Amino acid sequence: MQTIEGLLLEPVGCLAEFPPEPFHEIARRLFARRGKLSNSGSRCYWHLLKLVDEFSPQPLAEALEIEAVNASSVYEDIVPALTELKAMGVRLSIASSLSDAAITRFLEKHSLGEFFAGVWNRDNAGGIKAVPLVRALRGASLQPENVMFLTDTVEGIKAARGAGVHPVLMMNDPDEARRLAMHNPAGGVVSFHEIPDFIRLIAAQSKSGYFFSVSTPGRGTS
Amino acid sequence: MKKISIYKPSTVDEAIQILSQHGTSAAVYAGGTDLLIRLKNRLEQAPSYLVDIKKIDHLRYIQEDGRGGVEIGAATKLAELADSRLLREKYPMLVEAINKISSPELRNASTLGGDLLQEVWCQYLRGGYSCWRNGGYICYGAIGDNSYYHSAMGGRLCYAVYPGDAATALIPFDARAKLATPQGVKELSIEQLVPGDLLVDGRIQSHVVRFNEILTSVVIPPPKPGLRASFEKLRPRGVWDFAMASLAISLQLREKTIDDARVVFGGIAGKPLRETTVETFLKGKTLSTELGEQAVSVALANAAPLKYNATKIDMAKGLLASGLARLNA
Repeated sequence: MQTIEGLLLEPVGCLAEFPPEPFHEIARRLFARRGKLSNSGSRCYWHLLKLVDEFSPQPLAEALEIEAVNASSVYEDIVPALTELKAMGVRLSIASSLSDAAITRFLEKHSLGEFFAGVWNRDNAGGIKAVPLVRALRGASLQPENVMFLTDTVEGIKAARGAGVHPVLMMNDPDEARRLAMHNPAGGVVSFHEIPDFIRLIAAQSKSGYFFSVSTPGRGTS
Repeated sequence: MKKISIYKPSTVDEAIQILSQHGTSAAVYAGGTDLLIRLKNRLEQAPSYLVDIKKIDHLRYIQEDGRGGVEIGAATKLAELADSRLLREKYPMLVEAINKISSPELRNASTLGGDLLQEVWCQYLRGGYSCWRNGGYICYGAIGDNSYYHSAMGGRLCYAVYPGDAATALIPFDARAKLATPQGVKELSIEQLVPGDLLVDGRIQSHVVRFNEILTSVVIPPPKPGLRASFEKLRPRGVWDFAMASLAISLQLREKTIDDARVVFGGIAGKPLRETTVETFLKGKTLSTELGEQAVSVALANAAPLKYNATKIDMAKGLLASGLARLNA
């Protein structure tokens, strides 16, 4: 991993805890899905995106998304960490598959708008999953190899790969994170407040020559 | 084992020159009970150049200083500390702690400096996993088995606990460390020496010693009259293991009144954790049988255990109660 200049953030699961029910309900209404309700809002959200991708680009139930946003709670370390990242000069962008209305509501509700140089959603990006990420990269004139995307799902890792950026795990649930670590993310953090240190470490390693090119989970090589 | 070159400097200045020349690919070698295992385990972070400081004069000694304190050379063996009559007379709690470090065989080889600056003993790091300390960007301890060797008090990228016992036991005596650096001698408190996971020279390490610095000695101030201290340690096996939780506690007593206190937990965080809330609580109190329970009720309020290690907090609180009971006996 090279020096990190930008960070792309999907609010669901990375900036805030979302309830699973609204996303599950959208999947039920639009795709007649009757599967078991997951206890993770993020997993429900990304599962829904998978369905949208597989079957058709049907408009999502915006009202339910906004309901999810209204019930979301931002993790307590988000604001101090975003403040620190901004001060470090890291360019922060929202890259989300939520609707424009849902993202606008999210940033207003949690007073987070000031931190982001770019806000990309499925409406202004014209697509979901990797599409908002690619638009955010272009919008901020960033090279993908200098950018991280935080995620807590397999679909998120795939979306990051699709956009060419480094997928970094938010290890919200240790059991799920252990499973996700097998999907070869570029790294993982337990809490968002570790991200500034993560970026500093990469910068320091590049500078000192104490640097490992790619992080591969599993046993190291000698 | 990775190919290595060994230097044998005869002075500290010469050692610093060699370390400066090779940067982070060199490391100080004394007892070798940590370093050689890292090499044997083929860890990415293991050095290619060893700077053997065993032949350097004036790094292996235990001597009383002019003020009634004691200075210990960093290359002094742990067994020599355990056998020291001077230390036993002045700081019996330190000797008790040293005797609980690993096994007699290892104490014959391990040095005080090595114990203070040792690498963490996380099973994922030592097993060669590509973690934060070994060339990767993830903590497997945070998402895997963290019952024994991981922090229950939060973390910063790496969640392994600081494993040393000597630092935990030295902090209650307000001991200080002396470092030789290219700019001259630097002196730090033990808390400043091992502040927990931080970025130094592009690496995550538990201590602040830079690649071209050498820990040369530890200075312990003279014991104050009325000081009583105790060291407690719980480990997975009765002998030869790292602390699941440990406690070094000292009380400055006037009769039964506590004038001052130091409470330091080991084995539960990325550093020896000084619990100042309990210290403040204890000041002015009378040492009694009820005090342990009261102190436990205010201890470790900001614990943040991982999935499998909440029991460490219970252990630490239990040690606090038993430590106070022991000092009251």
